[in-house]
Amino acid sequence: MRHVSSGEEEAGAAPPHPDVSFSPARPGTVAEVENLAVTFRRGNRRIHAVRGVSLDIRPGEILGLVGESGSGKSVLGMSLLGLLPEDTLEHTSGRVAVAGKDMLHGSADLRRRVRKEHLGSVFQDPMTSLNPTMRVGRQVIEAAGSTEEAVRLLRAVGISDAERRMSSFPHELSGGLRQRVMIAMAVAGNPSLVIADEPTTALDVMVQSQVLTLLRSLVDEIGCSFLLITHDLGVAAQVADRIAVMYAGRLAESGPTDTVLRSAAHPYSLGLMRSRLSLTSPRTGTLSTLRGEVPSPVAPPPGCPFQPRCDLATDDCTQLLPDPVPVIPGHLSACVLPAEVVRARRPAPDAGEQDAGEQDAGGQDAPQADAADPESAVPAAADAPGAASAVWVRQIRRTFRVKAGRGRRKDLQALREIDLDVAAGESVAIVGESGSGKSTLLRVMAGLERADHGEVVLGGSTRPQMVFQDAGASLTPWMTVGALIDERLRGEGLSRAERQERVVAALAQVGLPAEVAQARSRQLSGGQRQRVALARATVIPPQVLLCDEPTSALDVSLAAGVLNLIGRLRRQLGMSVVFVTHDLSVARVVGDRIAVMYLGNIVELGPAERVVSQPAHPYTKALLSAVPEAGAAPMVLTGEPASPLAPPSGCAFHPRCPLADDACADSELRLRPVRLRTAHDRAVACLKPELI
Amino acid sequence: MAVAEPQLAAPLAARRRSARLLPANAARWANWSIAGLLGVVTLVALLAPVLAPHDPLQPVGQPQLAPGQGGFLLGTDGIGRDVLSRVLYGLQASWFAALLVIVGGVIIGGIIGVVAGTFGGIVDNVLMRITDGFLALPAPVLAIAIVAALGPGFVHTLLAVSIVWWPFYARIVRGEVRALAARPHVEAARLAGAGTFRVALRHLAPGAVPATVVTASLDVGNLVLTLAALSFLGLGQPAPTPELGADAARNLSYLLQQWWIPTMPGLAVLVLAMVGNLAGDAIRNLMEDR
Amino acid sequence: MLQLAGKRLGAMVVIILALTAVMFGLQKISPLDPVHAMLGQSASAQAVAAERHVLGLDQPITAQYLHYLAGLLHGDLGTSYRTRNPLSSDLGTAFPATAELTLYGLIFALILAVLLAVATTLRWPGSWLFRLILFVGASMPPFLLAIGGILLFFVNLGWLPATGRTSIHNPPTGPTGLLTIDGLLAGQFNVVTDALSHLLLPALALAIGPAVSIGRVLRSSLVSELRSDYARTARAKGQRERQVLIRHVIRNAIGPALSMTGLQAGLMFGGVLVIEQVFSWPGMGQYMTQSIPVADFPAIAAVTLVLGIGYVLINTVVDLLQAAADPRIDV
Repeated sequence: MRHVSSGEEEAGAAPPHPDVSFSPARPGTVAEVENLAVTFRRGNRRIHAVRGVSLDIRPGEILGLVGESGSGKSVLGMSLLGLLPEDTLEHTSGRVAVAGKDMLHGSADLRRRVRKEHLGSVFQDPMTSLNPTMRVGRQVIEAAGSTEEAVRLLRAVGISDAERRMSSFPHELSGGLRQRVMIAMAVAGNPSLVIADEPTTALDVMVQSQVLTLLRSLVDEIGCSFLLITHDLGVAAQVADRIAVMYAGRLAESGPTDTVLRSAAHPYSLGLMRSRLSLTSPRTGTLSTLRGEVPSPVAPPPGCPFQPRCDLATDDCTQLLPDPVPVIPGHLSACVLPAEVVRARRPAPDAGEQDAGEQDAGGQDAPQADAADPESAVPAAADAPGAASAVWVRQIRRTFRVKAGRGRRKDLQALREIDLDVAAGESVAIVGESGSGKSTLLRVMAGLERADHGEVVLGGSTRPQMVFQDAGASLTPWMTVGALIDERLRGEGLSRAERQERVVAALAQVGLPAEVAQARSRQLSGGQRQRVALARATVIPPQVLLCDEPTSALDVSLAAGVLNLIGRLRRQLGMSVVFVTHDLSVARVVGDRIAVMYLGNIVELGPAERVVSQPAHPYTKALLSAVPEAGAAPMVLTGEPASPLAPPSGCAFHPRCPLADDACADSELRLRPVRLRTAHDRAVACLKPELI
Repeated sequence: MAVAEPQLAAPLAARRRSARLLPANAARWANWSIAGLLGVVTLVALLAPVLAPHDPLQPVGQPQLAPGQGGFLLGTDGIGRDVLSRVLYGLQASWFAALLVIVGGVIIGGIIGVVAGTFGGIVDNVLMRITDGFLALPAPVLAIAIVAALGPGFVHTLLAVSIVWWPFYARIVRGEVRALAARPHVEAARLAGAGTFRVALRHLAPGAVPATVVTASLDVGNLVLTLAALSFLGLGQPAPTPELGADAARNLSYLLQQWWIPTMPGLAVLVLAMVGNLAGDAIRNLMEDR
Repeated sequence: MLQLAGKRLGAMVVIILALTAVMFGLQKISPLDPVHAMLGQSASAQAVAAERHVLGLDQPITAQYLHYLAGLLHGDLGTSYRTRNPLSSDLGTAFPATAELTLYGLIFALILAVLLAVATTLRWPGSWLFRLILFVGASMPPFLLAIGGILLFFVNLGWLPATGRTSIHNPPTGPTGLLTIDGLLAGQFNVVTDALSHLLLPALALAIGPAVSIGRVLRSSLVSELRSDYARTARAKGQRERQVLIRHVIRNAIGPALSMTGLQAGLMFGGVLVIEQVFSWPGMGQYMTQSIPVADFPAIAAVTLVLGIGYVLINTVVDLLQAAADPRIDV
C-alpha cells in the first residue's frame, strides 16, 4: 500500500499495523490483500471495480465487508477465491494471498488446491448456487470427502434429519435449509477462511437471524475465519468482529466493529449509518439521505470517490485520492479530514433537502402527518368502516391451486380472512415474511387479483395505484417514460399539450427533470426508476397508493430518499398509503399503523410506534428480535417456518410459539384480531395477548 | 481436456476476442453489412429478368457446354438452355417463396401467439394444444403429404409449407408474451387504465419482436432448403419452369459427366441458405448488443 | 416418473390418432378420385359404382374413418395405385432400409454435435476449421451435399460406393432388417463393413444439418451452465474444470439439446426422402418419390404415417430423457 509513508510516525516503537505491513507471509493472518486493483471490460468500456484495496483477515475472526452495489466488495471476494471471470478481466495488480499462496497470478491448479484445502464459500442465492440436478448428499460429499463426514456436517449446521436430507434435491428444500447445506459444504475440511457473499440477503429475516447465529457459533467452534460480504451494516454489526466499509472500489474505513459503529471516522460510513433505518430511527422529519448517486465505475472521479456526495468536501478532495490511514491503531479511515472534524459535523436536520428529489418539498420541516400524535388518526378498530375510509377490506380470502410435485395439486392459502380498514390520509404498513400473504393482500386491494370471498370497498372513485418492488420491471422496457405516464392521462379529455404539461409536472413532483420523459427504463438508475413509477402513480393522484416493497431492491442511501418522497407525496396529495414490507424498521417509519401478517392472517394491528416498542403478539416479538442490530442477541425461533400449503391448525403460529399450549392447536379455533382491553387502538389475534 | 482448463472459465472468449480485434463499432458495422446481404439478394431476385442473359426456357446454345464455354458463364444444360438464366429465375422463385412463407408464418403465428399469451387460461390452452399438435408431426413430411393431396404446384407448395410452419412462430411469440405477461409492467399498465387490447398491442407484442425477427431471419435459410427439397422431390412447378431443386433433381443423370448441370442450382441454394444463416446470426448479434 | 411416462404415452396415442385423422382428411379433400385412380379414367359408371361399394366409399364419412382406423390397427395401410400391392408388404422391405439410414444419420448427428459443442466451448485448437466446415455444411441442401460426396468420394477418390445399401448379392435377411445388425448376428462381417461403407455418405449427408443445429444449442447451454452459480460453487469447492463439466454441467445442459434433437429428427425425415433418391437407396423415401409423379396418394399417406409415428416415438423418448435428466421436471 502506497500510503505506508503516512504511517511513519508509528514506524518506531509501535509495531506496524498489519494493514500497512509488507511482509509476504506473516503469522497472524489467513489472507492478505495488498493494493488490489481489478478492471473488467464490458463492450469497449472499462469497469474499474476495485481500485487499490489492502486488507488482512486474521485467524478466527469474522470480518464484515460492507458496501453498496458497485462498491467492489464481491469482486474482492472472488479475488480471494481466485475465481475472477477471466474472459472479461482487463487488468489486475497488487497481491492477494491465501495461506501464503498467490490467488491472483498463481496457476489455475495452485488456486484450485488452495480453494480445496483452505477456503470455503457461501453465495447469495442458495437455489442457484446448488446444482439443481444433483442430490444434496453428493454435493456435500464432494466437499466433505465421505458420506459419514457429510452427514456429520449437515448435523453440525443444524439440519435435523440429515440422513434423509442427503437424498433430497435442492428444490425440495426450503431457502433456509439450502443455505445451511451451502454452509455445510463451506466448512467441510476445516478451511482456514470462509468467504460468504451476501449469505442472508435472499432469506427471510427470521431465517437470516438463524443463519447468522449459526455462522457465529461455527466460527467459535471451528476457529475458521469468515469474510462476511454484505450490503447491510446491521448484518455485519450483529456478528462481525471487525468491519471494513468499501465505496466505489476503495476501502473507506476499517476497524473493530464497536469502534466503527460508535465513532466512525469516514463521512461515507457516517452517512450510511445515518440513512440506515433501525428500530430507533426518529420517525419525525425527513430521513437523512446521501445526495447524488454512486460514481460510475467507468470513469471514477480523480479525487476521493465520495467527494461529489460529501458535505465536507474541500478542493483537496477533488485532487487527492486518499489512502486509508490510522485514526487510532487498528482503525483506518480514507479521509483527508481529521476524524474529529468528520464526527463533529452532525447531519443537518433537513438533510433530505439536499436530495435531488426533495428540492421542492414544501413540508420538509412538517413531521410525518401523525407522528407527533400517532393515535389521533387511528380508527378504533377494523370492524366498521371509519367515517372517511379510503379502502375497506372485508373478510377477504384467497386460495391458489398450485402444483405440489408428482402431479398433485395443493391449495395454497394465501389469505385466510383479512379485515382491514384504511382511513383517508392514513398510512398502514403491512409487515410479514414471504408466504404471509402480504403481497397478495395488496394485489387484491389493487384489483389485480380477485378474492374468493369478501369484498374490497373503495372510499373514492379513483382506482388505487401501485408501486412495485422492482421498479425497472414495472416500466414497459420499450416505451418512453413520457408515454408510460401519459397512458394514465388517456381518456381524461385532455389535449396533447395539456397532457405533456401534466407529464412534466408529475416528473418535477418526484424530483426528475423533464428530459427523463424521453428516456426508457434501462437508461435510468434504480432510484430514478422508482421515482418514475411514483410519478406515473401520482400524475392523477389516487386516493390510495399501494407500495409493494418499493425500497427493498435499492441501496440504503437511495432507499431513504424514496421513502421521504412517498411521505411527501402522501401529504401533498392527501393520499392513503398501504405499504408492504418485510422490514419492521421501514414499517415503523412509513406507517401510522402496522399490521403484522403471518400465514394469511393479520396477527397484530396497532399504532406503529407502540407495536414496535411493546409488541403484543409472540410472533411480532420474534420478528422484532430478528431485526439485525448491533450487539442485540436475537431470540431465535427453532424449526422451519410453516408453509401456507399446510397451515397448522388453530393458531398458525402455535408450533413455533414459546407460549403455546393445547388450546392454541385446537382445530376449532378461529383467531381474529381482537381489540385489547388496555388499548382500544390495538388488536391482537392471540389467546394470550400479553401487553407489557 | 486438462490442457484446456485455464480457458474453461472463459467459454465465450472466442467471441469476445473477435469483438476485441474489431472495435465495437466495427463489429456493429460488420453485422449491419452482413444483415444487408438480405437486401442484396432480394434486389438480385427482383432484377432476375434483367440480369438473366438469356431466355431460361429456350435452348440458346450447344447442349452440355461447360461453364465459360461459348460465353455461357455457368454452361448450358442437356438441351442447350443457359444454366445461369435458369438459376437466376429459380433463385427469384425460391427467395420470394421463402419470404412469403415467413411473412405468412409470422402473421398467423404472431396473432395466435399474442392472443394465447395475453389471455392465458383456457384460450391459451386450446390454441397451444392445436399448435403442439402441428409441432408433434414432422413438418417436411407433412408438407409433402399436403402437396401430394392437393396436387403439385407453386401455390400448393407455399400453402403446404405455410401450414406446417406457422406453429413455430406461434410457440415463440406465445412464449415471449407469456414471459412478459408475468412481469409487473403489464399489471402496472392495467392499473394505469390500459385495456386488454392496448396491453396486448403496446405492452406485450413489441417485446416478442426481437425474438421473432431473429427466428425469422435464421429461418430464411431453413425455408430455402425445405422448399428446394420439395421441389427436388417433384412437388414444385411442372417441367419447363426453372426451379432450383427440380433442376438439380431432373439433371441428376448428368452428374458424373456434366457435373455442373445438377450442381449449379444446388450451389445457388447453398448461397441463398448461407446468406440467410449469416444474416440471421448478424441480426441476432445486433439485437443482443442493443 | 412412471406417471410422467403414462401421460407421455397417452399424449402419443392422441397425436397418432390426430395424424391418422389428418391423413384421412387429406385423402378426402384431395381432387384425386381413388376409384378412377384404380380403374382408369375410362371405366364405366357401373364399374365405378361397384368399386365404390367395395371400397366402402358409399358409407358415411365417420364410418369410412373408423374403417380406415380399424384397417390400420390390423396393419392394413391400404393398397398402392402404382404397384397394386398392399402397402404393408411394399413398405415391409423399404422400412428397414430407411430405419437403418435414419438411425445412423441420428447417431452421426449426435456425435458431430457433441464434438462441435465441446470443441468450441473448450476452444480446442483447430476447432474453428471444424466449425467452419460444419456451418457451411449446414447451409447446403442435402442433395448438394450428397452430390458433392459422390463426386469426391466415388468419382474422384473411388473410396466409397455411390448407390444402394449393399453390393453383396444375398445379404442376410432378418431378424431386424438392418444390414449392419443382421450381418453381425449372422457372423458375416464382410456384410457389416460393406453396409457401413454404403451408409457412410448418405448418413453423413443427412446428419450435417441437424448436427449443427443440435451442436449450437448444446454449445450455448454449456456456455451458460459453465457460468452458472452452481458451477461457481463447484469451482469454489476446489473441483477441477473437468469435474465441473462432467459431474455438474452436462446433466444440466442436456435438456435444450435433447429438445432440438427431437425437432431435428422431423427435419431428418424430410431429408431422408431426398437423400434416398440421390443414392438410389431402396427405402421409403425412394418409394414415396416414385409415388409422387403418379399421384399414388395411399402410398404417400402410408409413408407419412409411418414417418410420423417414428417422429412421435422419438419425441416421447426425448421427453422422458429430459425428465430423467432434470428432477425438477414433474409432469
